[in-house]
Amino acid sequence: MSWETQALREQFPILKQQIHGRRLVYLDSAASAQKPQAVLDALQGVYTEAYANVHRSIYTLADEATRRYEGAREKIARFIHAPEAAEIIFVRNATEALNLVAYSWGRANIGAGDRILITEMEHHSNLVPWQQLAAQQGATLEYVPVTDEGLLEMDAYAGLLAVGGVKLVAVTLMSNVLGTIPPVAEIAAQAHAAGAVVVVDGAQAVPHMPVDVQALGADFLAISAHKLGGPGIGALWGRRALLEAMPPFLYGGDMILSVSKQKSCWNELPYKFEAGTPAIAEAVGFGAAVDFLSGLGMDAVRAHEEALVAYALEQLQTVPGLRILGPLDPTVRGGAVSFWIEGIHPHDIASIVDEDGVCIRAGLHCAEPLHTRFELPASARASFYVYNDRDDVDVLVAALQRVIQLLRR
Amino acid sequence: MSELYREVLLDHYHNPRNYGVVEPADVDVRMDNPTCGDKIHVTAQLDDAGRVAEVRFEGHGCVVSMAAASLLTEEAIGKTVAEIGEMDLHTIEELIGGVRLSMGRVKCATLALKALQKGLKDVAQG
Repeated sequence: MSWETQALREQFPILKQQIHGRRLVYLDSAASAQKPQAVLDALQGVYTEAYANVHRSIYTLADEATRRYEGAREKIARFIHAPEAAEIIFVRNATEALNLVAYSWGRANIGAGDRILITEMEHHSNLVPWQQLAAQQGATLEYVPVTDEGLLEMDAYAGLLAVGGVKLVAVTLMSNVLGTIPPVAEIAAQAHAAGAVVVVDGAQAVPHMPVDVQALGADFLAISAHKLGGPGIGALWGRRALLEAMPPFLYGGDMILSVSKQKSCWNELPYKFEAGTPAIAEAVGFGAAVDFLSGLGMDAVRAHEEALVAYALEQLQTVPGLRILGPLDPTVRGGAVSFWIEGIHPHDIASIVDEDGVCIRAGLHCAEPLHTRFELPASARASFYVYNDRDDVDVLVAALQRVIQLLRR
Repeated sequence: MSELYREVLLDHYHNPRNYGVVEPADVDVRMDNPTCGDKIHVTAQLDDAGRVAEVRFEGHGCVVSMAAASLLTEEAIGKTVAEIGEMDLHTIEELIGGVRLSMGRVKCATLALKALQKGLKDVAQG
């Protein structure tokens, strides 16, 4: 099959606009991805054809709303190869998914003296919840170091596990700064052998590569729909046995079976964790985004991005003084490419390329400890998705040459 | 040519005015912008009438933060505490050539001004 980027772009209405008279070159999908028409139609469809509150009513309209909402849950379960849809919990985003695990599983299972292992390349959302949990429970938080190349030091990981007392290992499946795809299946196998539970931050990986939670051996997976072309919603997948043993995270309507004046019984999975009226249309839009990606095929998405990143890494290195953060081997990394140009602040880079219609991110990308590790005050990041192609890389590189021309003396 | 990165901004970035430290200083403030790593150190001396006699800055950061700091030091000399207290983002935008800054650059542009205003307030409060 052939990949037709131009035809794909046609399906993303926002990309038709111009910025400063230039074609919009959107290279910030790692922060949030643009939405295909199919997702916009799904959202519109709920509000114009099938909107009512879910799970609560007998009438036909509510039944249709519930059918679409639960249909989305099934699509997401299939997308990540979850054993059952009841293990998918709708949340606001990956951050909330990770907080749910930290508050519910963490408070019940992490105690004084326990150890939590994360890595130096984690996004703050897979770092701060564990840092705070450790502080509250009297546990310790330790970090698997990152090599200069941007890979995890797996020997150090084995050493940290071997000390004993590790109850939880939390790791990203794709770094939002380095692009690195850590060997999570191996990490999970070692963690389980040491008796630890494995939380995987899938915010970056799930939109960009095939993910099979069973093959990974994960216990929890956090997903943000908005990074895969869906609206502002997310999901937590967890193993049924763990979810069933966990106390609810939020209390209220829909998450209870029965309530008396002094006590309540919790609803079954996944509703135990979905208190209150959920984001109904957004869930349906999430399902539509997953359908859109499944239509392209996640193997094809990954292959397209791998080839594009290979080209980007090669072209970016022609810019004088530009240094790439993270691995240079496109087979072990995803589509987020962070870089630093000697003597030029990333904010200036982002401002100047914006004048050429190019959207890139500049800053710490919610990964301050990682920037500290690389001794950088900030970095610039270009990130790619299905609607990007070599022409976007060429516009970026030309814009970066202009940055150098303007600012270097 | 760039809309924002005009000659005045680039000139002050490459050749900052009043760069360094005033000693002894009535005003001595360090401030940073943790989201982007900009750091600034502003020192100043006041005259008997309470006007800024000398002001210097040092630090590192983006073009906007450093050039705005340089332009501000030129503008601040001879001004009273009250006059500097009235300066705001608009003042900075005028100084850098009448450019309207995007929301993401506001903190960069006003870092030196905030530092100077804080330092003068500290002096006033003794």
